[in-house]
Amino acid sequence: MSEQHSLILTDVTKRYGDFVAVDKINVSIPKGSIYGFLGPNGAGKTTTIRMIMSIIYPDEGEISILGQKNAESVKDRLGYLPEEKGLYKKMTAGEILVYFGQLKGLDRKPATKRAHHLLKKYGLGDHYGARCESLSKGMGQKIQILGTIMHEPELVILDEPFSGLDPVNSELMQHLIRDMKDEGNTVIFSTHIMHQAEQLCDYILLVNHGKTVLNGTLSEVKGSGDKGILLDYDGDGSFLKSLPGVARINNSGKQAEMFLDPGTDPQSILAQVVGKLTVRRFDLREPSLHEIFVRAVGGHTDE
Amino acid sequence: MSNKTYLIARREWLENIRTKTFWIGMLAFPVILTLAMVVPTLLEKSKSARLYTVIDQSGWLFESVMERAAVDDLSRILMLSAAERELDKLPDEIVSAGEQIRSGQADARAMAADVVNGSTNVLNESAQQAIAQWWSDLDATAAKAISGRLGKARYQQVELDSQSPEALNQAVLNEEIFAYMMIDEDPIGAESNSRFVSSNLTDTDLEDWFSDHATDIIQERRMQQRGIDNDTAAWLTSPMRFELTRINETGEESEVSATDTLRQWAPVAFVYILWFAIFSISQMLLTNTIEEKSNRLMEVLLSSVSPFQLMLGKILGIAAIGLTMLFSWIIFLILAVKFLPLLLGTGSLPVDLSSIVSDPSYLASFVIYFMLGYMFYASLLVAIGSVCNTLKEAQNLMTPIIMVLIIPLLAMMPIAKDPNGSLAVIMSYIPPFTPFAMMNRVAGSPPMMDYVLTTLLLVASLILVIWAAAKVFRVGVLMYGKPPKLREILRWIKTPVGMSPTLRKSDKS
Repeated sequence: MSEQHSLILTDVTKRYGDFVAVDKINVSIPKGSIYGFLGPNGAGKTTTIRMIMSIIYPDEGEISILGQKNAESVKDRLGYLPEEKGLYKKMTAGEILVYFGQLKGLDRKPATKRAHHLLKKYGLGDHYGARCESLSKGMGQKIQILGTIMHEPELVILDEPFSGLDPVNSELMQHLIRDMKDEGNTVIFSTHIMHQAEQLCDYILLVNHGKTVLNGTLSEVKGSGDKGILLDYDGDGSFLKSLPGVARINNSGKQAEMFLDPGTDPQSILAQVVGKLTVRRFDLREPSLHEIFVRAVGGHTDE
Repeated sequence: MSNKTYLIARREWLENIRTKTFWIGMLAFPVILTLAMVVPTLLEKSKSARLYTVIDQSGWLFESVMERAAVDDLSRILMLSAAERELDKLPDEIVSAGEQIRSGQADARAMAADVVNGSTNVLNESAQQAIAQWWSDLDATAAKAISGRLGKARYQQVELDSQSPEALNQAVLNEEIFAYMMIDEDPIGAESNSRFVSSNLTDTDLEDWFSDHATDIIQERRMQQRGIDNDTAAWLTSPMRFELTRINETGEESEVSATDTLRQWAPVAFVYILWFAIFSISQMLLTNTIEEKSNRLMEVLLSSVSPFQLMLGKILGIAAIGLTMLFSWIIFLILAVKFLPLLLGTGSLPVDLSSIVSDPSYLASFVIYFMLGYMFYASLLVAIGSVCNTLKEAQNLMTPIIMVLIIPLLAMMPIAKDPNGSLAVIMSYIPPFTPFAMMNRVAGSPPMMDYVLTTLLLVASLILVIWAAAKVFRVGVLMYGKPPKLREILRWIKTPVGMSPTLRKSDKS
C-alpha cells in the first residue's frame, strides 16, 4: 500500500491538555497527487502538518511517510514551507538557499549550483549576493519558496502557501505546485482560499474542530452536495434570497450560488429572474467548494 | 557530530562574527590592555619638565633640597645601572658602580651621597669626579631618556628677570612657569610661612616632591638645634619597613616585583573577561533565537534537523565564537609581549606579560575554565531564548541569571586577596561560580585536588545543564504565546526522554 502512497495517517490524535487539536484523522495520500487540507482557522491543519513533519509528535495513531514509520529518517526527502515566511536578515539570498539545501543533505557544490539555477529561473539571478534584509517582501517570499524545493523533495508540505503572497508570487506558487506534480512528486497544502484549492487539488481533506468532515477526490467531495444554480448577473440582486423555492444563497453581488428546496424547478427561478436582472450566466452544477466548506463547518468560520 | 549539527554551528558562528557586537567585544580587551600599557608611558614621555622658580628668603633651604633631590636621582640611576637597564645612556663609571651594587659591595645611596657631597666614602676620587661632572652636564631631556621618574627630568628651576610678586604672578598666568615658591626667612621656626603659588593646585606632584625633601631637611635641622646628632636623628625618624618577600612552592624566596603584582591581579582580569564574554554573547543569543521563532524559521529548521541537533549546533556555534575570541586574545598577548616594547621604544614592558603567557597553570586554567563557564551559561541562555517570543520576555527571564552572575564580581576582590580562604573554596565548589572562582584563585596556586574536583563537578553540571536545556528547548521552540512559569519548565525537564510533555491549552499556537 505504501508503494502507491506517499503518506498514510492512521487515527492520528494530538491533545493539548484537555483540548483535542487533532482527533483521529485518517488519510492516505497517493503518490503524485495534490492534496488540499481545508478547514477554518484552528481546525487542526497546522498541527497535523507539524506532526507529518515530525516537528511535534502525535499522542496516538501512526504516521507512515514515504514508506517509513519515522519521519526523521526521510526529512531530507521532504520539503516544508511554514505559514509565516521569514529569512535570516543578515544572510544573502544565495547563502540562505545553499544553507537550506545543505540542511537537506545536499553537498555544498551542487547546492550552490542549484541556488544559482533557481534564482536565475525565477528572475532573481542578480540577487545571489544580496542580503535578505535588502530584498523586497515579494523577493523574500520567492526565496523562501525556492528554499523549500532546493533539494527536489519527493513530498512537499505547504502550510497556507498563498497567504500573504502578492499576485505574482501567488502565480509562481501555483506553477511550482503543478511542476511538482508533473515531475511525479506529491504536494500537500493547507488553505482556506477555496478557488485555489478547486483549481489545483486532486484530493481534498476537510477538517473542523480536529475531526475529518470530508475526504476524497475533488469530484467526490463536490458530488457529495446537492446541485445548485450558479448565476452571474448585473443589477440589484437583493430580492434573490426571498424568491420562493430558494433554500440557501451565497450572494457576492455579481454572482450568486443558489440551492433550491427539493422539488423546485430551476427553470421557474430563471423565469422570475429574467427581466429583473441582466443574466450573463445561468448554470446548474455541482456546488462550489466554498458552499461545501461553509455547509460543513456550519457557517461559523473566521473568514 | 553529525553534518547537520556542524552546518548549524557554522551558520551561528558566521552570523555572529559578522556583527559589530562581536568585534567590539573581541577588540575591547586588546585595546584596553594596550591603552593601559602605552598611554601612561607615552604621557610620561610627552610631559615636558615643569618649570618653577623659588624665592628663597632663608638662603639655604632651596640649595639643600636640590642636594637631597640629586642624591635621590643618582641613587635611582645607580639602581637602574645595577639592574642592567639603560646602560647605553650611562657613563662607564656608573656602569661599573652598578656592578658593585649588584654584587653587594656597595650601597647606591652612599655612592650618590659621595657624588653630591664631593666625598669619597665609597667611590674613588676619579669615579666621583667623573660622575659629578656627568650629572651636572645632564639636562632635563637627557635625564628623561634615562627615566621619566627622575626629579631632574620632571621639574626644572628657572630664574626670572623680575622677582616682584606681580611679575611672578604674571609669569604663572602666562604659563611661563608652572608655579613659584616663597620660602620663609626661617623655615625651621614653628610659625614659618612659606607659599606655593600656581594656577593649577590639583596637580600636586611638584609641591609633594619639594616639600617631602624640605621636610626631611627641616626635621634634621630641628634635631640638630636640640643637640641630637645626625645618626640619632636618622635613627629616631626611620620608619618601620617590611621587606615584602614571597615564598614559592619550592621554598625559594624572592622579592615582590611588578610582575608579581601582575600575576596577582591577572586572575581578576580573567574573571572580567569571562564575565564580559558571557554578557556580550547573551544578547545576541536571545535575539537570534527569538528572531527564528517569530518568523517561523525555527519550523523550517526543525523540518530538516532534530531539536537536539539544532540546540547542539547552536551551543557548538557559540562555543566556536568563544574559542575565536579566546585564541585571538592569546595571539594578541603573545604579539603584545613581542611588539609592545618596540611601540613604546623601551627595552621592556612596564610589567612582564610573558610570565602570564608562558605559565601553563595560568593559561590552562584560563582556557579550560573559560570554555566550561562559557558553555554552561550559553546552554542556559539557549534554553531561555527558546521559551521566549519577545526580547522583553527574555530580559525578564534573564534577571535571575544576571543576579547570579553578579555574585562572582562581588566576590572577586575578597577571593583575589585570599585565594585559598573559605569563601574562595566554597565558591569553587558551586558550579555556576566555579569558573570564576577557580580563575580568580590561580595566583594562590590552589591545591591540585581543587582543580580536579571542581573541573569534574563543572563538567558534570555542564552535561546536566545541556540535557535539561535540550528538554526545555524541545518544547519551548514551538511554543508561542506567554512564556511558561518556572514550575512549567521544571515539569518539562522531569518528563522522561522520548515523551513530549502536555502543554496547557493556551500554549498551542
